[in-house]
Amino acid sequence: MDTDNGKTGAIEIEHLTVSFGPRPALLDVSVKIEQGVLVGVIGPNGAGKSTLIKAMLGFVKPDVGNIRLFGSPLQQARGRLAYVPQRGAVDWDYPITVNEVAMMGRYRSIPWWSDPGPEDRRLVDEALSMVRMGEFGNRQIGQLSGGQQQRVFMARALAQAADVLLLDEPLAGVDAATERAIIDVLARAKATGKTLVVVHHDLATAAEYFDKLLLIKQRLFAYGTPKQVLNPDLLAEVYEGRLRVFSGLTANGGAND
Amino acid sequence: MTDVIFQAFVAPLRETFFHKSLIGGSIAAIVCSVVGCLVILRRMAFLGDALSHAMIAGVAGGYLFMKVLFNVEAHAPSMLVGSLLAAVLTVTCIGFVSSVSRLKEDTAIGIMYTGVFAGGVVLVSIFRNYIHIDLMHFIMGDVLGVADSDLWVAAIAAALVLSIIVLFFRQFQLTSFDPVMAAAIGMPVVLIDYVLTTCVSLVVVSAVSMVGVILVVGLLITPAATAYLLSDRLDRMMLLAAIFGVSSVVGGLYLCIWLDSSGGGAIMLFCTFQFLVVLVVAPRYGMLANWLRRRRTVPQQLLEDILGTVLRRLGKPVSVTEMSSHVAESGRRLASAVKTMVRDGLLVPEGPGFVLSQEGNREAKRVLRAHRLWETYLKHVGMGGAELHQKAHELEHLHDKESVEYLDDLLGHPIHDPHGSEIPENAEQCVPGATCRLSLLREGRAVRIESLLPGSAGVALSPGESVRIGPRRHVGALWSVLRPDGAEVVLDHEAADAVLVRVLE
Repeated sequence: MDTDNGKTGAIEIEHLTVSFGPRPALLDVSVKIEQGVLVGVIGPNGAGKSTLIKAMLGFVKPDVGNIRLFGSPLQQARGRLAYVPQRGAVDWDYPITVNEVAMMGRYRSIPWWSDPGPEDRRLVDEALSMVRMGEFGNRQIGQLSGGQQQRVFMARALAQAADVLLLDEPLAGVDAATERAIIDVLARAKATGKTLVVVHHDLATAAEYFDKLLLIKQRLFAYGTPKQVLNPDLLAEVYEGRLRVFSGLTANGGAND
Repeated sequence: MTDVIFQAFVAPLRETFFHKSLIGGSIAAIVCSVVGCLVILRRMAFLGDALSHAMIAGVAGGYLFMKVLFNVEAHAPSMLVGSLLAAVLTVTCIGFVSSVSRLKEDTAIGIMYTGVFAGGVVLVSIFRNYIHIDLMHFIMGDVLGVADSDLWVAAIAAALVLSIIVLFFRQFQLTSFDPVMAAAIGMPVVLIDYVLTTCVSLVVVSAVSMVGVILVVGLLITPAATAYLLSDRLDRMMLLAAIFGVSSVVGGLYLCIWLDSSGGGAIMLFCTFQFLVVLVVAPRYGMLANWLRRRRTVPQQLLEDILGTVLRRLGKPVSVTEMSSHVAESGRRLASAVKTMVRDGLLVPEGPGFVLSQEGNREAKRVLRAHRLWETYLKHVGMGGAELHQKAHELEHLHDKESVEYLDDLLGHPIHDPHGSEIPENAEQCVPGATCRLSLLREGRAVRIESLLPGSAGVALSPGESVRIGPRRHVGALWSVLRPDGAEVVLDHEAADAVLVRVLE
């Protein structure tokens, strides 16, 4: 599964088991995600995709196992991790501008007695221009389109200057053009050396968008290139049948690989 | 004794004012409660409060209008129309403010009703020489002073509102449950909304003279909320709410006579008390029922701990006292857990203690298997020492079939845990008559080979052959199978997984 055993991965998950009831949500998940890759997390509904993200954020306490970021325990490396929430969780009428939302990414490092400094402003400007939202800085967030809103929150995560970005279904319910724009931002973030972990539900586009895929259903079924992961036998096992739906995916993945 | 009861219950019934209060109060309560069901399901309680306050402006307006133009004092119908107008005006303003601005509806309600209410208060105080309205009367209500005109107003409003609710029940039900679907099938959702709001205004107006502005919202929502705890259907909820409304009025009026207190206050006090009683004793959604449900079901963890304790004693009866030193509970809770487990057929009393029933034994082995597999797994991932047992004890409660079989396979179907104790077999699949993978079986089993799956290439066994499982070789990593002629076939983990066998004995 691991391609470069020698190097320390960006995210190393070892024997992770997480449970909320009598059945584990994640069981014995071990994976090492390398630095600078764009990873898509795929799996059926209720497979533990969100639980995996929550565990990486330190929101849930694992029963067994541990997670390391760049070789240090999660608690000590929290600043290197940024999270982009699902769109539904935000009050879009809140009186706040695009600039201010992006500046929230800096709050962790601004002491309470001080105002944001030039360095903070520079990082915010950089983040906004990376998501191509630089000219919307003074807009209230409710006045943006859905895709722009999503990009503002990605800018906030980028402004945190974190090395790892976790995105929970950023492509859920957006149109094709917006999807393209978001993927473009993901690729630019990757180009600056960031590691991105993206929960994704659309198998048809998974091969095209991501460098690596992480197929999960309670256990880790596969982690690797789309060609390795989008294997009809594996998908049939995880998605319980319906081979016909999957038959085209591997060819697709192979073409893009 | 009889005399006391007579004085308390029958004597008030001889008074005409009491009759009127009872009748007027009951009518208002019935219609309030029925409409209240829709109000609480739509989460409009705050709107009810707003409307009752706003109508004071309407009353003052109606009074002034008749007084100035026709010189008629306290003309009831015009005050009523005035209150309705004020209510509709308030609702329109609320809708307007929340649609043209970004303000949420609760804020819009708060702004508009206090504005209209304040207008009424100012109006009444400016024209205090013309208007002979007792503000206190409006705020507190006067159920004992119900006039014939009030009765008529209440009766007509009630008849009108109840007819509307009965006739358009389905429309109200759908718009309060799923307004989008209602609009999609062509229901005039906005119109139905206004009809409901008008109904609320009407019932509020008819009830204010009895319980007052402040308490009327209680009469609107408390009986409905009480019924909500008892019923899962809207029509029954309305019926129950009406009953609770009437009982509040009857109980409250007696309370008011006995204590010589404010009528409206006594009614709402009784109504609230009634709600609290139902909150505690309601059969399904009540606190008592919840508590009993929690008590009656033995927590899974305790149940499994008890099973494990009894299993480890290998068939000797275990008394409750002995159990208490091995599980986290003791005393009455443990005793009642054991009682429940006997009732559920997991434990059987024997002599001074308890032994496992057949089902209990199976269940206990399942948990023990999970425990020992988790222990082996934890050792496998590098945990050690005292932590190991404690962690495995927590994890043994994760024993759904899939997870346990995954661990078993991952660890190479181990026979012993790190402490050397035997891990129980998979009790579901390793029974005579069942078909399973050869890798699951232990030494001594007689089986017939059913089929060879991919992965068993090179295995010198063929379907139909009857063989006996031999001991594991090479620290458990290799399986051996004995042919009837004494020849031994050795398989690795992958091959053993790929041979399907029928268990004979």
